[in-house]
Amino acid sequence: MIKAVEKPVSHSEKDKTVRITIDGRSIDAPKGMNLLEVARSNGIDIPSLCYHPGLEAFGACRLCVVEITKPGWENWRKLVTSCLYPVEEDLIVYTRSPEVMENRRVVLDLQLARVPNSDVIRQLAAEYGIHDTTYTKRKDADNCILCGICVRVCEAVGANAISTLSRGPDKYVEVPDPEACIGCLACAESCPTDAIGWHEENGIRHIWHRDFELVECETCGKPILTQQQIDHFVEKSGLEERYFAKCDSCRKKETAVSISRVMF
Amino acid sequence: MSEQVAEKTCTCAEKFNGTLQAIFDRYPREESSLIMVLQDVQEELNWLPPEAINCVAENLNVPKAKVQGVATFYRAFSLEPRGKKLVKVCMGTACHVRGAGMLVDELERRLEVNAGKGMSPDGEFSLETVNCVGACAMAPAIVVGENYYANMGPDKLKRLLNKERES
Amino acid sequence: MSASTVTFSSIDALHKRAAKVKAEQEKHSMEVLVCAGPGCIAQGAKEIYQVITDKLDEHKTALKKKKLEVGVQLVSKCTGCHGMCEAGPVVTLEPSHHFYTHVTAKNAGDIVEKAILEGEIIEKLLYHQEARKGGNTVKRYTDIPFYALQNRIALRNVGVVDPLDLDDYLAHDGFKAIAKALTSMTPEEVADEVEKSGLRGRGGAGFPTGRKWKSALRVKKDRVWVICNGDEGDPGAFMDRAIMEGDPYSVIEGMLLGAYALGATEGYIYVRHEYPLAVKHLQLAIEKMTAAGLLGDKILGTDFSFHLKLTRGGGAFVCGESSALMRSIEGKVGEPRAKYVRSVEKGLHDEPTVLNNVETWTCIPAIIHKGASWFSSLGSKTSKGTKAFSLVGKVKHTGLVEVPMGRTLREIIFDIGGGIIDDRPFKAVQTGGPSGGCLPIDKLDLPVDFDTLAKAGAMMGSGGMIVMDDRTCMVDVAKYFINFLIGESCGKCVPCREGLRQVYDLLDKITRGDGEMDDIDKIEALCHTMEVASLCALGKSAPYPVTSTIQYFREEYEEHIRDHKCRAGVCKPLIKYHINKDCTGCLVCKRQCPVEAISGEKKKLHIIDQDICTTCGICMEVCNFDAVDIISGGVTVTQQLEKAAK
Repeated sequence: MIKAVEKPVSHSEKDKTVRITIDGRSIDAPKGMNLLEVARSNGIDIPSLCYHPGLEAFGACRLCVVEITKPGWENWRKLVTSCLYPVEEDLIVYTRSPEVMENRRVVLDLQLARVPNSDVIRQLAAEYGIHDTTYTKRKDADNCILCGICVRVCEAVGANAISTLSRGPDKYVEVPDPEACIGCLACAESCPTDAIGWHEENGIRHIWHRDFELVECETCGKPILTQQQIDHFVEKSGLEERYFAKCDSCRKKETAVSISRVMF
Repeated sequence: MSEQVAEKTCTCAEKFNGTLQAIFDRYPREESSLIMVLQDVQEELNWLPPEAINCVAENLNVPKAKVQGVATFYRAFSLEPRGKKLVKVCMGTACHVRGAGMLVDELERRLEVNAGKGMSPDGEFSLETVNCVGACAMAPAIVVGENYYANMGPDKLKRLLNKERES
Repeated sequence: MSASTVTFSSIDALHKRAAKVKAEQEKHSMEVLVCAGPGCIAQGAKEIYQVITDKLDEHKTALKKKKLEVGVQLVSKCTGCHGMCEAGPVVTLEPSHHFYTHVTAKNAGDIVEKAILEGEIIEKLLYHQEARKGGNTVKRYTDIPFYALQNRIALRNVGVVDPLDLDDYLAHDGFKAIAKALTSMTPEEVADEVEKSGLRGRGGAGFPTGRKWKSALRVKKDRVWVICNGDEGDPGAFMDRAIMEGDPYSVIEGMLLGAYALGATEGYIYVRHEYPLAVKHLQLAIEKMTAAGLLGDKILGTDFSFHLKLTRGGGAFVCGESSALMRSIEGKVGEPRAKYVRSVEKGLHDEPTVLNNVETWTCIPAIIHKGASWFSSLGSKTSKGTKAFSLVGKVKHTGLVEVPMGRTLREIIFDIGGGIIDDRPFKAVQTGGPSGGCLPIDKLDLPVDFDTLAKAGAMMGSGGMIVMDDRTCMVDVAKYFINFLIGESCGKCVPCREGLRQVYDLLDKITRGDGEMDDIDKIEALCHTMEVASLCALGKSAPYPVTSTIQYFREEYEEHIRDHKCRAGVCKPLIKYHINKDCTGCLVCKRQCPVEAISGEKKKLHIIDQDICTTCGICMEVCNFDAVDIISGGVTVTQQLEKAAK
């Protein structure tokens, strides 16, 4: 589901795939698919921090920026955001050209100044030869790089609890209304820099200024979901609450047992 | 579906003597009305109290987090109480090159308030910088309510504030 | 003239009404136009209007005897559109073009009793050509170079028609273009005409308007939106504000023509909330047009329908960027999107959308009415027609100027604008707002159009033109724009959000006197990444004010770093105020100093205590004897500037 790259639907069959060149390799790709997906599915690595295959592309981290040109452009090249760029016939792409690498270095240097304590960013920056930022480090820095994944994931889950507040350099991620949070951890688990803190203790999950009591699996007693999660899923999916009474592994075991009864 | 929502009257709206209800009735109850509704609410209450924000969210059927995001993104909205009068110092380029920066410093000192934050101790004034009010020919310009003050200088501020205090 | 409740059931009815109103107006042998822009209003224009109306009433019989029928119009002209705000309130007599300045409630009666009844010229209210006072006086505004050298198309009605009166717009050829289109042109022909005119979007990027419309026509769609971008945000630019306030009907007529050409039935005008009068006038115009059958279903009895809504911006410069503006109309945070899929395919609500700015829309009726070849005969090779500029800053005649594309900066600043205030040296002109750049004196002969200025590292942008003299610090100007953009960046993408913060830190370091020479290189490298890798136009163009000042005024950066000197005497950490021997000991500065940093007795030299002084500059402002100097980098910069100025 890559919404941003939908192109007007073409009706002719042969228009459905396009042939492009990435770093000298000729590649066939579905027309309109974003460049980042095409590259990655062909084993070509383009770094990105804000892309999530399950979510609408965002284009904020600027790490996936690559250089493109076309046969008629007389070697004129431009930088484009690969996660947003729909592939088209004859496209020639450079993912590691000097201009691309320089851009990645500056962007990572800027990120490092923003989150100097993030191991993920430090490691990534080091891969590009940056071991310490050349810029002014942010004071009292947390590890958030404002990639927007948590906001988009929360929206996809349907809780809509997370938002960015303010704007520009003052922008930050917050749950302004903790009541809306269902404690599902989708945000924390998809955060690329582990910036969303949470912990569980004695059957209580703490995240976003709030404690959630965990419901235990009725078979094995392992804490599984928050009641808010169950309520939310029941409402959204139409499944019965009973469905969530057991943990995944207990349910699988039970299914295996019942299948074996039928089969053998 | 929107009709169904329209009939809903929440308890929080009553808190504001029905004024919010009147605003909600002016617009379709959907996300695209959000900014207009927030503007009208602020015009009514002079700022956006948390209960009002929640009330807007509920009535327009927009998640509270989104309303909060919008209210903090746009400069027009104030999430804290403001003084009776809002002194806007234009920071457009024409005003800047004619010394608007000095005006802000001097007003902050005189009003004991920071631009964009809170109000003067007497509750009379809040101070704001505006990115160009389009009165470039009057630079540097200050706007208080509907009054435009042209060709301002730090030495003229005392009189301006006295005049605004009296009126 | 209040009969605009008439509903026009046909195009014929519209023409009839126009003819009637025109005939009525022609009976007036004279019209009195009172400027009601905020500047003039602030100085009593409403009272003056009242005095004039009362006096006309009082002298009704005398006027009749002389066969003078005088119509008074309170015409709202935006601040500065006459460029004489400092001379306001301004009253103009038509058709004689007599132009009276500094009118007060006291002497406004003279305009009726002397000028109108006796045919006299009121000498003391005339405009002074040279300095503020003294010098030659000019009777007619058409003789003032400021107006004489202009050619107003977008501003054609601003200050001429009553923006609240639909009839008055009709009397000035209003709605003739839409009537022409509806009776004798197909939608394609309208789009063709716009394309042939060579009109390019006045919002900044200069994309050919006709080509945009044509590509929207090629998109398969159920619905298409038409949007007017009235979120004029460039600081120092107020052309669109003047048009929206002074001529709202033209904007809407332009949109009607666009809607007709594109097959749109719905549209939005998005107006900055900082422009309350523009909101009010447009809203009234929409209401009146709806009542008159010029908006809504079956316009003028034809099958063409168009519904228009006004929405107010929330105070975000980035919403001038079209994709952010559309998000804002949807009630969302104004974050731009990448434009690999164009908005003519996927814009508002992911549906095909055509967006143009106020000035562009306003040109459309003129083009359709007078024809594409008339429009394209004006202007330069690649930029056709005229362009409105807001000429402000340290220039003598500030205001709105509209000239054919291709006029030089020198013509605009010196011939029309009258040169620099107090005849000080010209230093730079900043064009294109935060996306533009600063051009130095040797670029003054560049013709102003989309392409030439872009090549020189500036940008024509929406038309802001801020003139700077020798007392403007170019590092400070760069810092000003970066600070502006920090406040306005949406914060979505890394190069813009983080880059701006870092560039600001570096510039701040330099203006504090703590800069190092390689900071300039560091800034340039960072600016390059911002330019190529930012998500939207705001971030991509954000570096221009910095890169252009480094390009043309590098030595000023170096002086700040090497000599800790701000030659313009602007950067506070690098300057000190000092009282020189010209001090007469008048005590004025001592009394005015807000922090009591000045000591001294009457008739004795005053002294500033540098430990207390906050360098607010009030002492210099109030001193009548030029006895306060600015010292920077060990040099008395004020003296140096005076010497250079002579």
